[in-house]
Order: sequence, then structure tokens, then C-alpha cells
Amino acid sequence: MSCTPHTPNDYKSDLKPVWCPGCGDFGVLQSLYRALADLGCEPHETVVVSGIGCSSRLPGYVETYGFNSLHGRALPIATGIKLARPRLTVVAVGGDGDGIAIGGNHFIHTARRNVDIAYVMMDNEIYGLTKGQAAPTTPLGDMTKSTVYGNPEAGIDPCALALSFGATWVGRGFSGDVKGTAELMRAAIAHRGFAFLNVMSPCVTWRGDEQFKELRAKTRAVPEGHDRTSMEAAMRLTSESEFLTAGVLYEIHKPTLVDEMAAIREKALPFDVLPPARDSVLRAFA
Amino acid sequence: MNEITLAFVGSGGDGAVATGDIIATACAREGLHVMKTEAYGPQIRGGESSCTVRIGSSRLYAPSDRIDILVVFNWNDFARFQNELTPADDAILIHEQDDAPPAELAGHQCLAVPFLKAAREESAPKAKNIIALGVAAAVAGLPLDALRKSIALRFAKKGAAVIDASLRAFDRGIAEATSQGSMKRLEYERAEGKLLMSGNDACALAAIDAGCRFFAGYPITPSTEVLQFLGEWLPKLGGTVLQTEDELSAIGAVIGASFAGAKAMTATSGPGLSLMSEMLGLASIAEIPAVIMNVQRGGPSTGIPTKSEQSDLFHAVFGGHGDTPRIVIGCTDVEDSYHATVDAFNIAEEFQVPVIVLSDQSIAQRRETIAAATLTHPVRERREPSSADLGEYHRYRDTADGISPMAAPGLASGIYQTNGLEHDERARPSAAFVVHEKMNAKRYRKLNLVARNLKTHERLGARQPKLGIICWGSTLGTVREAMARLGAEAANMAVFAPRLLTPLPAAPLQEFIDSCERVLIIELSYAAQFHQYLRTQIDLPRQKTAVYSRSGGKNFGSTEIADEIRKNLIRVEATEEVLA
Repeated sequence: MSCTPHTPNDYKSDLKPVWCPGCGDFGVLQSLYRALADLGCEPHETVVVSGIGCSSRLPGYVETYGFNSLHGRALPIATGIKLARPRLTVVAVGGDGDGIAIGGNHFIHTARRNVDIAYVMMDNEIYGLTKGQAAPTTPLGDMTKSTVYGNPEAGIDPCALALSFGATWVGRGFSGDVKGTAELMRAAIAHRGFAFLNVMSPCVTWRGDEQFKELRAKTRAVPEGHDRTSMEAAMRLTSESEFLTAGVLYEIHKPTLVDEMAAIREKALPFDVLPPARDSVLRAFA
Repeated sequence: MNEITLAFVGSGGDGAVATGDIIATACAREGLHVMKTEAYGPQIRGGESSCTVRIGSSRLYAPSDRIDILVVFNWNDFARFQNELTPADDAILIHEQDDAPPAELAGHQCLAVPFLKAAREESAPKAKNIIALGVAAAVAGLPLDALRKSIALRFAKKGAAVIDASLRAFDRGIAEATSQGSMKRLEYERAEGKLLMSGNDACALAAIDAGCRFFAGYPITPSTEVLQFLGEWLPKLGGTVLQTEDELSAIGAVIGASFAGAKAMTATSGPGLSLMSEMLGLASIAEIPAVIMNVQRGGPSTGIPTKSEQSDLFHAVFGGHGDTPRIVIGCTDVEDSYHATVDAFNIAEEFQVPVIVLSDQSIAQRRETIAAATLTHPVRERREPSSADLGEYHRYRDTADGISPMAAPGLASGIYQTNGLEHDERARPSAAFVVHEKMNAKRYRKLNLVARNLKTHERLGARQPKLGIICWGSTLGTVREAMARLGAEAANMAVFAPRLLTPLPAAPLQEFIDSCERVLIIELSYAAQFHQYLRTQIDLPRQKTAVYSRSGGKNFGSTEIADEIRKNLIRVEATEEVLA
């Protein structure tokens, strides 16, 4: 990251979002512009990667390098980018279905590996792009287009997952609060390691105005004195069903996958030893 | 004799495979040509194992299907390999003294040697395989001094006492054979030492030489050695190897790394290629270089993971959703695995397409000798944007050859947002027919130039052949061996084997077919995928075309192919008579 001053507007691309008027994802996009500007991220040194879904359209609206990939596959692609060019700032974004249903396996392993990227999950508890089916986050009993008799499955909490998968930074935001979400995003991007930010981002089309109102009413800040380094405390906060606790739930520091790969290179070849000539590779077969 | 094939069969702990390794290393260092294959029972550890080493004074193209010297530690273990290991009529069988050969082999010349007793007498109780090695080496006329060096090298880490005991055992084995008289003699001239490597090794080495510094993969038989070799060497060269959670992630990480500007590869086998096919579509539409080494095995599903087949062809050339341009190269032997992999990187980078290299278990896991000097291949790079391109950068500019300069993150004026959605020249999503049609045409147009700078096929034999064989991949080696065996009978024959499978070199192939009186397609696929594929690409007149195809699980033998060729040559002659 450099110190060149940037304004949020510098990160706006000339593409007009396809989102419905009033979509929560607009707030997430505004927050990302602000966070990138606050951090002074150089647009050409930044990559925003997504999967597929309404929210995964986001990279096209950000004037950095971007990659709107396949459903569920943002994290492997982001991992490849970060490992190949560690100096880049890499932000992965997507929806709850993208990240927990079809991409759930990658979520586990990207968190476990502590890949140094920020992963922003825009969570509306529904499949919006395919027009209103149940997601893994959809609460039990909810009636959606694919669960006309009520959802037979219990919804899952993405923050609890991230904590148990080994994410080293976990936060929750509400897209109705652009300022707060921008601050969280800034912290997530600045975090060295895998930072998971779950942003509740209402779907006005398939959830109506109710979801917005409910979320706003339920949201509260992380209580004073919360110990961010305590997995137990973070788990407790995220599992309180009467509240939606917004803020930084968890934050610890340990070597990232980039650090570990550098350590492996050092073990394979100490820094004061010259790289092997091709002949020494061939000697493996002599 | 100018070539000889030895096989060793035993249980885990008998050292059958280690014995083959010692012979292969010694003969490679003597400059001989060597081809070594292994086979195992289904057990993860222990169980039956066999090792076959073919040694020759000139180039070998396939393993031999006849064993000249068969060493068996335990005939019960041999029973398992009976379908794979056939002793030649004049084979010599060497076995443990008190373990008599089965009745059907009793007609062969047999040497009963007390392997274990002799090893104990030499105070080398663990070296009964080295006793057997000594016997076999003396009987076969192998280079004894080179073998002694190879034994010392093999046990170097175990210290002088173990080396001495092994050398005593070796000499005792020689004495045991000599007392019974030496019966075969390999004749050769010593030459410069050769390297000994597998197809998977050659692929990994090629990746290093091509400039690949990022590899991601998920272990799957029979491709895993590529992951393991690069896992050791890429970090030494400043590169990165990631073992992913599945093949979806492996190809995803490769595409990410490549988007970021690194040359990147993954290696897999059939079921893994299936998981990767969604990403193949992404790499194709987003025009991101990616190299996929797919080592074929018996399929479908888990099938026969440890044995060879040529049945991923349909998946490689057709598999996927949408109109998905990709390149497929079939490699024909170990040395060609090297060249095909560098070719794959060159094409992927230059044309910004996914490239699949189809190898198969028989090439990937056999080890054969290669002269180090042959392992070089020109390397080409990605087209980067010029300053003129960056004036108003269009990532997918619709150029004459279809190739658009590709910027990588870090380049200030090259910013773009790529996607798997159909997009216009500036990478902006579009659902318009005209855009889709134009970009499809652009992406397919790139394929027109792929054959440039590439060895697209191998054509051998007569110019106006009576019988023309069309095959691909590892089958070419067996066909060459069969032709050598046929000698003068093969004078009116020719072979055509495409290396470039997609896009197929249709013009030279059509010319070949038209020049043949009769065509025989040979492939290791029950459904005859290659034959069916050719029918979609070229004009293959039914009245003059024959197909010999069967399941994998057992490789083609040169005797089997020679017999098939003979049958077809007779048919050509019969037709000629009728016409006359």
C-alpha cells in the first residue's frame, strides 16, 4: 500500500450496478470505496475477486483490478493471486450462498491456511440472483420460492463458521451503516491474515422492507470490554439470537500462508545459498 | 542379444522393485537404453510387487511383452501377475530353491537358487534380493562393475558394513549362476550415461524449464509425483506449491496465479479433470493461460487408478459447458512428456487458453532413459500490452489473430475487471448476441495459429502405404515396437499419430488417410473414443477403415499389435486379389 491520497470516488468504475434500487449491496460498495481510500490502496496494486451472485457483481464497479469468477470459487482464485504476487492487496467478496453452500469447502481451507486476504460476505439470507430460493443462512421455517411449506433446514451463522475454521479476524457489519461497515472493512483489509467480515445486506426484492427494519432493530455494537482475542467470547457474542452484534468479534495474529511459503523457500534453500543450477535438478535423475 | 527383459516378482520386503532400480540405474549409467515398469497388488503397504526392466543397445519405445529372465521370490505372488508377465519361450526362470514353479511353467529352463540360505551364509540375511540380482546379472550378461557401483550408491546412506554385505551377496549370486553355466549375453557398447526419469518427472522438469513457478494440485494416482517433485524443487527456485482441498481449488488457484502474471500449472487424473471442467470454461472465456497435466487411468469413476487407459480423450476435447476453445496435446512417451509440457506452457501463454496435456499411467509412471541433451525446448512468453495498447487499454481487444495483450495487476494503466460473464472488448459484462458472436469468433480464431511452431504429429513409414495406422499417445510406442518386430513385413506400412489433438492437424491427417489403401485405428479405449473423435473431424471412409480398440487395465503388447497388423495386411492383399 502506498501513501498517495485517494478519495472514495477514485475507486468508482464507470459501470452502473445491476442491483435493485434499495439493495443492501450499495452500502457495501460505498463502504469498500471508503475503506480503500482510507487505506490509500493503489488501484493497480489491488484486486477484488468474487464468485457468482448479485453481490459478486461488485468487482466490476470498483476501479481496481477485478475478477468476477465462478459460483463459489472466489477464494481459490484469490489465494492463487495472493500467493503468486504477495504485494497485491486482495479482497474477496460474495454472497452467503456463494461462500457457504457451493463454496463452503474453500471457505474452510482458506481460513485454515490464514491466506492474507479480506473476505467480505454480503449476507441476505436468500438467493437473490436466481430470484428467491433458500440459502444455507435462511432461518428454519422461512417460506421462500424453493421452500413453499417453510424451510426444513436450520440456518447457519457465517461468523461462527469462520471462527471455527481458524480465521484470524472475524467481524460483522450491517450495510445500512455505511460508516461503521467502512471502518470494519478497513480493519479487515489492514489485518495481516485471513479476515472474515460478514455484512448483513438486506434483499429488498425477496425479503421486502421487513428485513431492513428487523436487522436495524436487532443490531447492537460489540459490548465494551469484549476480549477480541478470546474465541469463546467471540462465539458467545455471535450466537446470541436476540441481537445482531456488529463490530470486531475476534482478532489474533499468526503467520500467514505467504509467511509460511517464504519460510518453506528458506528451508528449501537458505538465503546465503545460490539457487540450484539446472544441472543439479538433472542430477536427481542421474 | 541386443536387448533383454528381466522381471522380479515378490512380496513387500523381498526387494523386487529395489532390485530393478539397481539394474536400471547401472545400465543407464553405462549408456544403455532402459525402460522400467512396476506393478503392485492393491495393498497400501506390503503385498505383491513386480518390477520389469527392459534393457537394449538402441532406443526402446515400449516395455517388452516377453520376459527373458524371470526372478520369482515366491510363486504365490507371481500368480497375481500372470496376465501381465509372460515368459518368452526361451526364458530362464530363477526361483527360490524349495519353491517349485507351477506346472504350466515347468517346461522352461529353471535355475533353483537358495536365495535366503546363501544370503545368510554371506552374513547378509536381508540381501536375498541381491543374491538374486547377482544370479540374474550373470545369466543376462549385465555390466557387473556398473552394478557394483549402483549397489554401493543404493546403500550409501546405510554405511560401509551394509554396502560390503550387499557386494558379498552380489558376488555370491554371480558364483551361484556361474556354477550352473551362463546362458544369455546382452551385447552393447558403452556410451555416455543417460538420465532415468518417469513421464511425471519429465513433465515436472519441463514445467521448471518453461518458467512455471506456481503449482497447485490435489493428490491423485497416477499423477501425484508431479506435485511431489515440484513440491521439493519449486521452493528452491523461488516458486510456490499449494496442495489444495480439491481439484476445483487447484485449478482455481492456478487461474488466480496466472491472472496475476505467473506461469502456473496443475496435474490430475480423470475424476480430477471432471471437477476442473467448470474452471476450464472460465479460463477459456476469461482468456487466462492455464496448463493441466491429465494422467489417464482406467475409468470411469475410481475405475482402475493404477493402470493405463486412453479414455479421457472425450472429456479433454469435448468436456465442458458452452463453446469452450481449449488445446489438447497427447504425449507419446517419457521424452515427449517433457516437450509436450513446454509446448503446453508456450501455447497457454501465447494464446491465453487452457491447455490440457494428456499423458497416461503407462508413460507417467514408467522410468526410461533419456539423454540430457534432448531435454531442451524453446520457451515463449505471454503478449504484454505495449505503451500504445495502454493508451486506452482494452483487455479483450478484437485483434486480427484474436490474441489481446494481457495486463497483470501491478501495471498502472492496465486496470480491468475480468469475468466469466460474456463481456465486450473492455471486459464489461454483456448479454448481447452480437457481442457473444464476436467474442466467440475472437476466442476460436486464436486456435488457427496454434499449429505454428509446433510438432503437430508424428508420421513414420512408407509414403504410399498399403496399411496406415492411426494412433495417439502411448500407443505409438507399442506400434513402433510392433513394426520393428515385423521387419520386412512392415515395409508397406505407415503410422500417423497426432500430438496436437485439439485442434487436430486435419489436413496432414486427411492426406495420410487418402494415401493409404487401408487404415487401422488402434487405441486403448473400449468405446473407441479416438475413432469416434476422428469421425467428427475428418473424412474416414468406412470401407477401408478398421478399428482395434479394447479396455485398459492391461497395456498393449507389441506381439498383440503385430498380430493385428498382420491380419489387416492380409486383408489388404485379399482386397487387391479380388480387384485384380
